[in-house]
Amino acid sequence: MKRSTARCAGLAGALALALTVSGCAGSGSASGKASITFWGWAPGYADAVKAFNAGHPDIDVDYQSVQPGAKGGYQKMLNAVKAGNAPCLAQVGYETIPSFATQGALENVAEYASPDKGDYVDAAWQSVTLAGNVYGAPVDTGPMALFYNKKVFDSLGLKPPKTWAEYRTAAKRIHASDPERHISSPYMDYDYAGLAWQAGAKWFGTAHDSWQTTMDSAANKKVADYWQSLTDDGLISSAPMYDQAWYTGLGNGDIATVVGAVWQAGTIKGGVKKASGDWAVAPMPQWKEGEKRVGNSGGSATAVLKGCDDPEAAWEFAHWMSTDKKAFGGLVDKAALYPAATDLLDLPQLKPDPYFGGQNIYEVFADASPHVDPDWTWGPLMTKTSTDLNDGLGKAWVGKGSIAGALRTAQDKTRTEMKKQGLSVSD
Amino acid sequence: MTHLADPVRASAHRGTDGTSPPGRSRRPSTRTTPRARRLRPLLFCAPFIVLFAGMYLAPIAYAAVSSLFALHRTGLGLTAPTARFDPLSNYTQALQDDAFTSSLVRVALFGVVQVPVMLGIALLLALLFDAKSARGRGFFRLSSFLPYAIPGVSAALVWSFMYSSQSSPINRLLEPLGAAVPFFDEDLALWSVANIVTWSWAGYNAIIIYSALQSIPSEVLEAARMDGASAIRIAWSIKIPAVRGALVLTTVFSIIGSAQLFNEPTVLQPVSGGSISSTFTPIMSAQSAVAAGNHHYAAAQSVLLAVAVGVVSFAFFKLTERKGQA
Repeated sequence: MKRSTARCAGLAGALALALTVSGCAGSGSASGKASITFWGWAPGYADAVKAFNAGHPDIDVDYQSVQPGAKGGYQKMLNAVKAGNAPCLAQVGYETIPSFATQGALENVAEYASPDKGDYVDAAWQSVTLAGNVYGAPVDTGPMALFYNKKVFDSLGLKPPKTWAEYRTAAKRIHASDPERHISSPYMDYDYAGLAWQAGAKWFGTAHDSWQTTMDSAANKKVADYWQSLTDDGLISSAPMYDQAWYTGLGNGDIATVVGAVWQAGTIKGGVKKASGDWAVAPMPQWKEGEKRVGNSGGSATAVLKGCDDPEAAWEFAHWMSTDKKAFGGLVDKAALYPAATDLLDLPQLKPDPYFGGQNIYEVFADASPHVDPDWTWGPLMTKTSTDLNDGLGKAWVGKGSIAGALRTAQDKTRTEMKKQGLSVSD
Repeated sequence: MTHLADPVRASAHRGTDGTSPPGRSRRPSTRTTPRARRLRPLLFCAPFIVLFAGMYLAPIAYAAVSSLFALHRTGLGLTAPTARFDPLSNYTQALQDDAFTSSLVRVALFGVVQVPVMLGIALLLALLFDAKSARGRGFFRLSSFLPYAIPGVSAALVWSFMYSSQSSPINRLLEPLGAAVPFFDEDLALWSVANIVTWSWAGYNAIIIYSALQSIPSEVLEAARMDGASAIRIAWSIKIPAVRGALVLTTVFSIIGSAQLFNEPTVLQPVSGGSISSTFTPIMSAQSAVAAGNHHYAAAQSVLLAVAVGVVSFAFFKLTERKGQA
C-alpha cells in the first residue's frame, strides 16, 4: 500500500510539473490598441516585429516562435483554430495555403489586401489567392535557376545549358568523363513540382466551385518522360536530396547540378563548405530556346488565421513586413529569404557571395522572379499528395515504375480522398 | 510517511501499550471514520487518477468517438469541414484500404519473425550473463544494454548510413568479394528494419530476463549441480522454466512494440528508394490520414490497430496460461 501510494504521488508530481512547464501563454488585450499575435519560425521575424512595434504605436504585434510547419507548426495552428484560440497571423508555406483554406482555417482579407496587390510578384500573389479569396501577404518566394559545379563544367569545356536538350547533352558528357559523375540527383515532391511548374504543367486548379486535377496532363508527361529518360540512361545519381550522400556528391563533383530555388544557395553553401568557389548559378534551362519560363519552389506567406479579431491591423503588419526595405533586409541576412515584393528584388543585402566565386547570383534570380508562371495552384490535400507522390517517385528514380506513373498514382489517391471527404472534383 | 499513512496501527499501538487508553475508542471515530480511511488512499492517488483519466483515458475515448464520424466537405471546401455521425464508414473504408490492411499484415509478419529471434537472442544473452564461468559480466551486460539507451530515431539514422547504397560500410567491406547486401530491396526492407529493432531491444529484454534469473533460489541450482546436471541441462530444465513469466512479459511488450513500429521505417523512408512507403506500418498509415486532414479516419485505423493488438496479446496470455496449467 505504502509503496503504491508513493508511486502515485511521484508520478502525479512529475506530470504536474510537465503541465506547468507547457502552460500556454494567454493573449492580453491592451486598451485601445490593436493586439495581434503572430506565429512563425523564420529566424529574423522577431526582429522585424520589434521594428514594427517601435514605429506603430497603435498596433502591438506579439511574435511567438513555433516549430517549422512540417515539423508540427501547422498542426499546432490547425489545432488552435479548432480550439478557437488561434493567433491572428501565422507563417504558412504557399503549398499549404489551400490545405489550410479547405480546413476553414484561413480568413479572407481581400477587402484590405487587394489594393496592395501590385506590390508583389504575380506568382507570389497568386500563391495566397484561392478562388478569389486572399488569405495573407506573400513574404518570400523560391524562383528557380540552375546551380552548377563550374569547376566540373569548366574542366570538360562545358557551358551552362540553355535548354533541356543541352542539359541532356551535358549530362552525357559528364557521365562519360567519370561513371561516378552524374548531372543531378532525384527530385522529390516540391523540388519536382518546381520542374513541372516551369513547363506550365499544372497539378491542380479550381473552376466552377470544383477542383481540377491535372497531374497526368500531357505537359506533366513531357516533364516526367524527360527526367525518366535521364535516369533510365543512368545519368542521375541515386543520392537522395538533402541526404549526407547528396552533400558529398555536391562537394566532390559527383553531382554536377541542382535545378533549384534561390534558397538552395544556402543549402549548398551551408552543406558543402569545402566547395567554396566551385559553384555558380545560371538561368533555368528552357524547353524552347529563347523562352524565359521559370518555376518556383517554396516560399511562404503571413497568413491570416480564422477567428482573427482585427484582420485589418493584421494585414497592415503582414504587408509591412513583406515590403519594408529595412525589415526585409534583416530577413535576407538572418533567414536568407528572397522577397516576394517587386520593389525589394534589388535589396543591398542581395549581394555577390565569395562562395559562388563572387558572382552576384541574386541578379539571376531577380531576372527570373518576374517570369515565374503565375498560373499555378496547390491542391487541398497537399501533404497527402506529396507523400503519395514521394512513394512513387522514390521508386521511379531508381528504375522501379515511372515518374509519370508516380504522378498518376498520387493524383488517383488524392482524388479518391477528395471525393471521400465530399470535395467537388471535376473529371 | 508510514505513521501518517497508517494511523490505525499507530493508535492501536498507543492503545495496547496503555499510554492513552481513552483514545482507543474515540480516536478512530473522530479523526478517521472508516469511510475516511477508505477514501484516504484515493486522495493520494487522485492526482494520478485525474491525470491518467485526462491524459490517457480521455484521448482514447475521444479517438473512439471521433472514429464514428465521417468528415464532410462540399464544393471547394473553403468553409470548415463538418463531421457526420456515420459509425461504420471509416471502419469499412479502413478494411477496404489496401495500404492499411497490408501494413497490418506487414507488422504481423514482422512480429512473428522478429519477436522470437530477438527474444531468443535476449534469452541466450541473459543465460550467458548468468553463467557461473562468465567473465567481464558487467561489461557485456552494459554493452548489450547500451543500444537501448540510444534514442530510436538516432539509432535509425546511424543505421540508415549503414544501409544506404552510397555510404554503406558493410557493402564497402563486401565489395572485394563482389557482393553487396541490397538492404532496401523490396523484400529485404522489412528485415532491415527488424535488424535495427533487434539491435535496440535485445539487450533491454536480456536485462529483464537476467533479473528474473537472479530470483532462482541458489539451493535449487546447487542441488541440480550436486545431482550432476550440466550447465546446459540446468539452463534448459531450471532456468528457462523459471523465467517463463519474464519471457511472457517481454513477448507481450514486443508484440505491442511491433504493432507500433514507426520511428525506424519513418527515418529510413527517404533513403529507401521507395521500398518503404508512407503507409509502411499501421501507425504511418494513420499518420498519412492525418496528413490528409482526415483525423476521423486516422482514429478508426488507430482503434482497429489497438483492438488487434489487444486480441493478440490476450490470446497470447491465454495460450501461455493454459500451457502452464497442463
